[in-house]
Amino acid sequence: MSEKKKIADGHYHSHDHAHSHLPSDPELRVKAVETLLLNKGLIDSKTLDELIDTYENRIGPKNGANVVAKAWVDPEYKKRLLIDATSAIRELSYQGRQGENMVVVENTPEIHNIIVCTLCSCYPWPVLGIPPTWYKSDEYRSRTVREPRKVLLEFGLSLDPKIQIKVWDSTAEIRYLVLPMRPKGTEHMAESKLAELVTRNSMIGTGLPKEIK
Amino acid sequence: MSRLHDMGGRFGDGSIPVPRNDKNEVVNFEPTFKYDWHARAWAITLAAGALGEWNIDVSRHYRECLPPKDYINFSYYEKWLAALVNLLIDKDLISLNELKEYVSAAINGTIDNIIEKEIILDERTWLAKDVQKTLGWGGPSIRDVNISPFFNIGDKVITQNYSPNKDITGGHTRLPKYAMGRVGVIHSYNNNHVFPDKNAHSLGENPLPLYTVEFKSSELWGELAESQNDSILLDLWEPYLKSFPN
Repeated sequence: MSEKKKIADGHYHSHDHAHSHLPSDPELRVKAVETLLLNKGLIDSKTLDELIDTYENRIGPKNGANVVAKAWVDPEYKKRLLIDATSAIRELSYQGRQGENMVVVENTPEIHNIIVCTLCSCYPWPVLGIPPTWYKSDEYRSRTVREPRKVLLEFGLSLDPKIQIKVWDSTAEIRYLVLPMRPKGTEHMAESKLAELVTRNSMIGTGLPKEIK
Repeated sequence: MSRLHDMGGRFGDGSIPVPRNDKNEVVNFEPTFKYDWHARAWAITLAAGALGEWNIDVSRHYRECLPPKDYINFSYYEKWLAALVNLLIDKDLISLNELKEYVSAAINGTIDNIIEKEIILDERTWLAKDVQKTLGWGGPSIRDVNISPFFNIGDKVITQNYSPNKDITGGHTRLPKYAMGRVGVIHSYNNNHVFPDKNAHSLGENPLPLYTVEFKSSELWGELAESQNDSILLDLWEPYLKSFPN
């Protein structure tokens, strides 16, 4: 009997799933697969280092915070951002993988937006980096569409019942970023200082920007 | 008719694992990768994907096709790694015997002894010098094809009330179960995008109109809706939708 069979969906599947041969310790599991791929020349260790360094040190929520702060101080930029977010974000040189098609949704006194991906964990990498653990959790994925107000309470956010919540479930390749409201009393602040108030959670909709003391 | 990954709206999940500090305040910062093996699993998945043997929809479907007991028990990056291994075998990039050999070496603590000194890179292998360029380009799913959208903004639509993949039983789709057979309104039209229901099964890109559809919370959750005023918006391809008489 052959090791594999072709089944109706056009994929080949092993009789028993290949992954069942992996060791129980995930660290050893990764080590085995990584070493095999390296030895076969199918991946390059320098590429892995470059990828990890990029998302640990260069691409993260600071990018999104710069976009938000610019929109707060520059009404023309904000207009462009809400019409064509992909292009407006590219003006700041943030673009590419998992942000090819961006939409920015604006919080107002009447509307609060919150982003989720119930089917996997789609997330706008160029502006927010790699998603945090809670965003990828079953709890967040299952509950946010059904009970966003209870979910927000767990993040310490209690919204007036009169405010409409819009939950955006990222079911396609469009990636969403929330434009939070500019905190009160920040009229005098420069763009770079404003960016420091923009938290990651405020750009997902599970938080608000920091208040000034 | 759905798989375990399709969990929107289900009951039984507890509190969100929100990180907090000593004062019990929500903390925004957490390391990009909690453990080194998370970073490695993530990076080898991206690097192996760059070989061009599968697309993003195929890799999503492989994660969804993990046996239910594994899908439930695996952590996030364990799912990634398991799906990657199944892909590598199915696409003949590695063999089961090779896998078993490296797994034994990892378990016996001898894996560092079998690291090759002189490695000949495959011609498809993603090089470090190309990483920024490739990431910056990404993988756009929008396609410039001459297909006009059937629906207009403001149209009332009803979603298919069964898993809409007509080619494959149990096949990939991006219409979540919680939004099947529900009435919504076309909020916006987003041009034509690669259709995952085909692309995940290597049946071609088949780009089709993609809409953002707004559903009232009460339409999805009935009396359980937290507020009659709230809404949920999903990005849905045209075949997921039918006209709903006004």
